[in-house]
Amino acid sequence: MSITRRGILAVPALAALPAMAEAAAPVRIGCIEPLTGNAGSAGQSIKQGITLVLDIINTPHPDLAPLPLAATSGLPRLGGAKVEVIWADNQGSPAVGQSDALRLITQDHVVALCGAYQSSITLTASAVAERYGIPFVAGESVAANLTQRGYKWFFRTTPYGPDFGKLYLDFLAYVAATGLAVGKIAIVHENTDYGTSVAGSITEAAKARGRTIAQTISYNANGTDVSPQVLALKNGKPDVVIFVSYTSDSILYMKTFHTLGYRPPIVIGDDSGFSDPAFPKAVGNLAQGALNRSAFVPGKPDSITYKINALFKQETGRDLDDTTARAMQGFFVLCDAINRAGATAPDAIRAALAATDLPASRLMTGYKGVKFDSSGQNTLAYSLVIQLQGAAYVPVWPLAEATAKLALPFKGWT
Amino acid sequence: MILLQLAADGLLLGAVYALFSSGLTLIWGMMNVINFAHGDFVMLAMYVAFFAFTLLKIGPIFFVPLAAMALFGLGVLVYVALVRHVMRGPMLAQILSTFGLALFLRYAALWAFSANFVSLPDNLVGGVYQLGGIRLSASHLLAGGTALVLTLGMHLVLTRTDLGSRMLAVSEDRVAASLVGIRAERMQALAWGLGAAATGVAGGLIVLFFYVSPEVGNAFTLLAFVTVCLGGFGSVPGALIAGLLIGVIESFSAYWLGPATKDVVVFALFVVLLWVRPQGLLGRA
Amino acid sequence: MRASLRRVLIAIAILLAIAPVLTQDAFYQRIAALVVLAAISASAWNVIGGYAGQVSFGHSVYFGIGGYAALLAFTKLGLPPIAGAPLGILASFVLSAIVGLPSFRLRGHYFSMATIAIAALAGLLVTNWGYAGGAIGLMGPATPRSPADLLFRSPLPYYAIFLVVLAILLVLTWWMERSRMGFYLRAIGSGERAAASLGVPIRRYKLYALFISGAFTALAGSLYAVMIGFIDPDSGFGILVSVNMVVMAALGGAGTLFGPLVGAIILVPLEETTNALLGGGGTGAAYVAYGVIIMLIARFSPGGLAQFLPRIAARKSPRAA
Repeated sequence: MSITRRGILAVPALAALPAMAEAAAPVRIGCIEPLTGNAGSAGQSIKQGITLVLDIINTPHPDLAPLPLAATSGLPRLGGAKVEVIWADNQGSPAVGQSDALRLITQDHVVALCGAYQSSITLTASAVAERYGIPFVAGESVAANLTQRGYKWFFRTTPYGPDFGKLYLDFLAYVAATGLAVGKIAIVHENTDYGTSVAGSITEAAKARGRTIAQTISYNANGTDVSPQVLALKNGKPDVVIFVSYTSDSILYMKTFHTLGYRPPIVIGDDSGFSDPAFPKAVGNLAQGALNRSAFVPGKPDSITYKINALFKQETGRDLDDTTARAMQGFFVLCDAINRAGATAPDAIRAALAATDLPASRLMTGYKGVKFDSSGQNTLAYSLVIQLQGAAYVPVWPLAEATAKLALPFKGWT
Repeated sequence: MILLQLAADGLLLGAVYALFSSGLTLIWGMMNVINFAHGDFVMLAMYVAFFAFTLLKIGPIFFVPLAAMALFGLGVLVYVALVRHVMRGPMLAQILSTFGLALFLRYAALWAFSANFVSLPDNLVGGVYQLGGIRLSASHLLAGGTALVLTLGMHLVLTRTDLGSRMLAVSEDRVAASLVGIRAERMQALAWGLGAAATGVAGGLIVLFFYVSPEVGNAFTLLAFVTVCLGGFGSVPGALIAGLLIGVIESFSAYWLGPATKDVVVFALFVVLLWVRPQGLLGRA
Repeated sequence: MRASLRRVLIAIAILLAIAPVLTQDAFYQRIAALVVLAAISASAWNVIGGYAGQVSFGHSVYFGIGGYAALLAFTKLGLPPIAGAPLGILASFVLSAIVGLPSFRLRGHYFSMATIAIAALAGLLVTNWGYAGGAIGLMGPATPRSPADLLFRSPLPYYAIFLVVLAILLVLTWWMERSRMGFYLRAIGSGERAAASLGVPIRRYKLYALFISGAFTALAGSLYAVMIGFIDPDSGFGILVSVNMVVMAALGGAGTLFGPLVGAIILVPLEETTNALLGGGGTGAAYVAYGVIIMLIARFSPGGLAQFLPRIAARKSPRAA
């Protein structure tokens, strides 16, 4: 309220010094992330990543030039206005996320929202944005139902469930062609919305190709022990085990594999837990050869991605993970749209978002581009298959983007 | 073979539950105060052990006692500064106080240590033992063995020593105990200290094979309450038996019925048992 | 005494009724609506937990049933979510009868533990129940199909609806306090053995109290689901849902008519504003402050804040709880 009023009072002054006054008014974006609670470590990492994007946008970074807004300072088409983020902690609760969205819209007068990591919270927070007519860009949430609501103000840059299912089955088809058995697939998933929805998408993708999933194990990620699950796998002897797990449980699985002396031939971890920087640190020596998906790989030393990773590492001391990179990518897309809109009116930003057409060369993630369909889903979202070799993950498939050779079967420990 | 392995895993897990719950049993049984911050005590002990290892480079032989001492201090402090004042108040005030304490400890830890998951190197307590086809990890064995020793020790202290009988006297009848010259305040502070120290030992051992984060206490807390209640409040051997029982039930039901339903089985059995035998397995009627 | 109590009651009522109109800010209006919603469930808990002294830590089971009833009515039958509320209340009666009777044999902490376990059990069962959305939860209508969907942009209509429900509950409690039932419940709360020797039909009256308490908690759950438009096992059956009710009632003064409302008026804005001011820092400072405040209150005012409001506490409950 007060800010709008101040804006109106400032009109005569604006007329006198249009360019300067305009440059001084920052563009505010609200970011809702889990800064505390079970997903706190992911939310904190996203905050660090987006803070880095802010710096790239607000100060000149000519060396990152292909990225939108990197070379210039601020948003050029808004008179060089700086971008500012108001952070809100969703505390892992759908109701709190909704309060956050309302507060950011009505009190902080943000021009757009991004977030909110957990799909359930993205669901409730974006419902508020929809009612107020404020664009919401989801860079990380993957539940399929988010883009099935017929919303007008909701956009998602990240690949989601069905994309992952397709990726894994394409990859396994490739592996089968090299002569390894991939007939029996087991899915082990944690039983909240993330695990259940991604496991469901993989199962459906398999069904669409006339394949069945031999074994599905659903478990509670907060559990203290996973040996019965590992014994069940050991008994079922699958060729491929796909984990859809959070951090603590992924770590427990690898430790229990070691304790029980079990090495499935192919282990795929679906992002999340396997991508947490804590995972290679804690059990890297037990999980050699584990496969994972990622939309981000640092790549060759002079690439943009490599430079961004270096900047991130300089700030935080660790490599950029997939989730953080996808959130950063979503934020880039949003800022690019605000700049193209040349205005902060919600309608203008929405129109610019809907017209987004970024080629792969202007992205920091491995997407084939960003272009939204009528539901707000990015149709060019894409991921790579990466493999834990030594201390870090390296891209191994598709071959065009691979920097290391796929090493199968799963080695685990030595 | 798989059944044997399941049973072994269940027993070891159960011993960890017993270990985790031992401190809670003591505090709950001696004072009839539910410590909602129990899980967060364990979390702090795990961080003490973790930082003792990473910063001071000392191994479990030293960091487990260190964690126990640190937690003893915390327990006494919490008693003197907080619990002493709410103990004779209504049950709800006790609940509020330890609930507030839990929030405070958990988020102070988040502030200080960040939300990231950390863990000790996997091989700190080395390796895996093979016993005729059953594979057991050394760190689990150590935790399980300690749980047995600790439980036995606590039971002996409570039943066989002068200190124990004085503590029990205070828990039975505070006024009468004071009349015969037992300093009730001191006994209760000691009980909190010892309960917390046992929790410290638990944390120091669990960190050998489990990750640490400010939220880690959540993973154990509810099961610890169930363990203590099932065993009978204040019954140290009861908590051990209950812990082992829960571990084995979880292990088998996770294998046969699916891991997502193992807690369903545990909680359902727990509720039914309470209805049938309200005082717990070894509790006094 | 009676007259001054009425004056306080009227003052609070007026304050509550006009509070959100005083501010044009939607966020504050939302906080006001959340205060009243929290007050409904805490006051409902108060009937069994405060007056009868049966400290339930599992009231989320009723809250979750109400929330799921509302959104199941929407997703499965295509009805407006609020149409599920009566079903939720009906289910709460059935549950009270099945679960309440055997649990009433348990005393003190054992009763609390049984209620925690029952709520945890319900949460786990729903998580594994694919028909009700399993772990993913259920979504309300994305956009309003008719006014009956109760989807409003402004928080004010929610506030008004919640206030009516709260008023009904408080009047009912007030009436109960003065009736034989109130006397019986307080007697049970201060000691069952003594109550039994006075000839109080203990289990019957505990069950009545649980019926009222569970029904209104279920209604609160339905209202929550209508406003938030989403429910999952954690936001419906999570232990924090139960703990919040207990903390609010205990903070304001359990076993007093307005205690839970006072607790909600303090805690909800405290949570929301600390999160607004400190949450973005991501340090958890909001919770640290929250924890300290709760400890201070427990330490210095163990009977709840009602102790500080002597006029309200004039007829302090016998347990001083």
